[in-house]
Order: sequence, then structure tokens, then C-alpha cells
Amino acid sequence: MQIVQYLINGIALGSVYALISTGFSVIFNVLKFSNFSHGALMTLSAFIGYFIAAANGWGLVPTILVAVVAGSLIALLGEFVAFRRILIRNTSPIYFFVSSITLGTLYEGLVVLKVGANFHNYPRFFGKPIKWAGIVISQSDLIILCISAVALIVLAFIIQKTRIGRALRSVSFDRDTASLMGINVTRTIQFAFIVSGALAGLAGVFLGINYTLYPSLGSLVVKGFIASVIGGLGSLPGAVIGAMLLGIVETGLISIVGSGYMPVFTFVIMLVFLLVRPRGIAGSNIQEKA
Amino acid sequence: MALYTHILTQILITVVSVAGVFVLTGMTGMFSLGQAAFMAIGAYTSGILVTKLSVPIFLAWPAGVILAVAVGFIVGLPTVRLRRDYISLVTLGFGEAITALLNRATALTGGASGLTGIPKETTLTIALLSAVVVIILITFFKASKYGRQCIAVRSDELAAKAMGINVPKVKMIAFLISVAVTAYGGCLYAFYTAYVDPTLFGWKKSAEWVIMVFFGGVNSLTGSILSTFVLSGLPEVLRFLQNYRAIIYAVLVLLVINFKPSGLLGEWELTPANLKRIIKRAGQAKQPKEVR
Repeated sequence: MQIVQYLINGIALGSVYALISTGFSVIFNVLKFSNFSHGALMTLSAFIGYFIAAANGWGLVPTILVAVVAGSLIALLGEFVAFRRILIRNTSPIYFFVSSITLGTLYEGLVVLKVGANFHNYPRFFGKPIKWAGIVISQSDLIILCISAVALIVLAFIIQKTRIGRALRSVSFDRDTASLMGINVTRTIQFAFIVSGALAGLAGVFLGINYTLYPSLGSLVVKGFIASVIGGLGSLPGAVIGAMLLGIVETGLISIVGSGYMPVFTFVIMLVFLLVRPRGIAGSNIQEKA
Repeated sequence: MALYTHILTQILITVVSVAGVFVLTGMTGMFSLGQAAFMAIGAYTSGILVTKLSVPIFLAWPAGVILAVAVGFIVGLPTVRLRRDYISLVTLGFGEAITALLNRATALTGGASGLTGIPKETTLTIALLSAVVVIILITFFKASKYGRQCIAVRSDELAAKAMGINVPKVKMIAFLISVAVTAYGGCLYAFYTAYVDPTLFGWKKSAEWVIMVFFGGVNSLTGSILSTFVLSGLPEVLRFLQNYRAIIYAVLVLLVINFKPSGLLGEWELTPANLKRIIKRAGQAKQPKEVR
């Protein structure tokens, strides 16, 4: 029974990591760079959700909606401010890194300006945990798991079945050829940022529920990064699998070593994984491409 | 006067660390978001050796640097063969791991309340001397065979490989040099402020250094140092802007990236030859006026 309990808690934790890692991977796929502003974007949209919705006594769903919309809009704006010109000029991809790091400090700076170093808490959205056959499931875990699953399924549907999803895949594969085929590359990249921002907003609210709201909440994005490295950088199914694995392993390890040392263990897991199977579970492209 | 000495010493210590980041980011095009963690290793190792084991400083500092390099080797080993994104992701995770370790291993590091009682040994002279020596060494490195290989790897890794450059080796050398220099900066820092705590070494510090390198000029050591002085000096002079510091940095860098992607100085370096050229040009600009 203990193992089932760990599995359930682990998957609930993993589903939040999966939101982070897919949001990160969508951008990585299209532009081939690691978007380091993702973590700070999570914090910023979670705080916007808090101040506009939750602090005014709105419920869980409006808070999530506000955060998701805020995340998408900010990501869209960020693309325009930080990445558009680099893309048009076709300068070295190194600049994407710098831009994203800068954008990250900007977002976090804005949050710090508003709240200082204070902690905030979302109001209690959930009732008592559900008990069934010796297994305890907290309602927050259950709802987070369900919403994450729906979000990921919708994402998979959009990418696999819709027109814009097909455009996204072709732009990811080869931007220039896609452009020759009549795909509006700029529009498609904007769409990728909207999707990534929405996922960041959702993940931000869930992290805020699981922990507390504080300005450096975004550093939890590391878990999402580690999950995508384990799963294979840039692969969406890999990101989800890696996140679930990480969640389960973490829940198991926390009961043994305590949560304080956890970052050390997740780091070692990632390092070992890179030594043994650098391509990740899904097997992605790991060498620099021309 | 004491205030200016204090500010100048702090800036010089930052210059040492940024010079380390320059080798990695400016020359080789790799981004380490855990660079501050290596600074922490240098600072904590030397600090603990001196305060807890009363090891003499001239042994403790090298020990800090050597430990950081050894750890850097382990971190770098799986990543130098892969595309550059991996080193940023792995070092970011590494930074978090080190912060957690420093917070937890209370008996050794003092935990979240920090390591206190480190003797104050770094003076303005030592900081200045260190900065000058580090800058000179890196100037030599940039002109050396490995330095030029680093620049080739940054410009086009595939082409560099095709020219017979051992890319993983070059990346590793650049990474270890930058780790060593940054760890040395950490020793200087710990023995200047006499107190270190884990919050000083988060990823934001590493990001700040990367921003300084890029603001000054992608491939210009002169530019990196200049921008270190400007960017870390500005908030000290304009105290009332302290809260806006991160935002001002970010806006400045976004402007530079959008409108002058090569940074303030681009690839320009302050060398005797370049200096002569400037003087000559200044002279030429004046001459026609005199003729008329």
C-alpha cells in the first residue's frame, strides 16, 4: 500500500513538473535554445493570478484563468521585446540565451519590486483529503493532477491534429523550408510562446498552491529542466515521462533523505543520466547542428 | 574615502569573477548559470579551512581553487560532448544543489545563517593586484593557441570540428579556467567581507555576470571589465535606484541586444597597437583643420 501511496503522490508532483518541462520544450523545439525566462515567467504570472483573482476572493478556476492569460500575454510581449530582432537578423543563437536570462531577471525584478521579499499564500481552495483503502489523496493533488492531464492532452491534440500544430512541427523541423512552404513563421513562433506562457501560468499557480508564493519560486523551474534533460531535450513525450519519473523518484527519496538535500540528489540523478544515456529517454538530438 | 575604497575593492573582486566568466561565455560561447556556485566553493572551502582548521591562508586559497576545479571537472565531464544547452542546464541544477548543500550541512558551513569569523585579509592592494594578474593571464590565454580555438568553437562548432579542433577538450579547458578564476574570486570575496551565506551565490549572480560580459562586448575583455565597472558602480553611486537595479540591468541589456548585438565594444580590445591607431586617428582628424 505504501508503494501505491508514493506512486500517487509522485505522479501528482510529476504532473506539475510535466507542465514546466513541456512549456520549456515547446520553445526549445522551435527556436533551439533553452528559455531561462520560463521560471521567472511562472512566478510573475502566479503573482498576477494572486493579486487580480485570489486576493479578491475569486475561486480556483478564475485564478488559473487569469494566470494563464497573463502568462501567454507576457510571453508574447517577451518574444517581441527580446527575441524578434535576433530572429529577423539571424544573429548567433548565443543571443537567445542572453536575451532569455535577461528577460528572467527582468520578470523577477518586477515581482521583487511589487512584493519585496515577502511570502504570500493562495487561499485554501481545497477541502479535506480523500481516504480510500488506506491511501490518502489530498484534494489539491487530485485536482492538480486532473487539470494537468487535461492541459497536456489538449496540448498533444493541438500539436498533432490541428493546422497550427502541424505548422509548429514543421517550423521546429526546419524554419527556412517551412517559410518556403508558405507557413507564416513569425506567427507560428508567437503561437509557441503563447502556449509556453499558458503552461507557465498554470504551473506557476500549482507551484504556488503546493508551496508558498515568493519571488524566487521560479527557481523550481530547475526540476522542469532536469525532467526534460532526462526525457531528452526538446521531446515533448520525453519531457512528460521524465517529469513523472522525477516526481516519483523524488517522493520516494524525500521520505529517506528529507527534502533539504533533494536538489543535490536530483542533480546527481541528472548527471548520472547524462553520463549513461545523454540522449535521454526519448532520444533527442544532442550535438550542435549546423 | 573609506566608502570609495570599499566600493572599488568590491568592484575589483567582481572583475576577477567576470574575467572568469568572460573565458567561458565571451570566448567559448557557453553559459554557466552555476558559476556563482563555484565562487561559493572557493569562498567556503578557504573560509572553513582557515576558521575551523586554522590552515594558513596561502594554502587555503589554492585548496579552494583546486577543489572547485575538481568539482568543475565532474560537472563538465558529461556536458562538454553535448550541445551547449546542456552545460547551462546542468550548471543551473548544480547551483541549486550547492545552495541546498550549504544550507543543510550546518555543522560545517553554518547553514542559512552563514559562515562567520573569516579573517579580513583582502585589501584594496590585494584585490587590485589579483585583478591585474588575472586580466594579464587571460589576455595571454586569449592570444594563445587554445584561446583562438575557443573563439573558433564559439563562432561555429561544426566548422571548428572540421578544422581538426578537439572541441570537447577546448570546451573543458575553457570551463576549468573560468571555474578556477571564479573560485579565486570567491576566496577574495570571503576574506574581504569576513562573512558568507548561501543566498549570495544563487543563479541570479551568475546571470548578472553573463549580462556584464555581454553588455561590454561579446569578445572583448576590455569591454567586459569596463561594463563591470559601469554596471556594478552605477547602483553604488545611485543609491536611490537600488531597488530598480535588476530592472535597469535588464532594460540596458535588452536595448544593447536589440540595437547593437555585439555589445558596447564588440570585438575591440585595448592593446598597444589599437591605442596607437586611436592616437593617430585623432591626430589625422585635427590636421585638416589646421591646414585650413
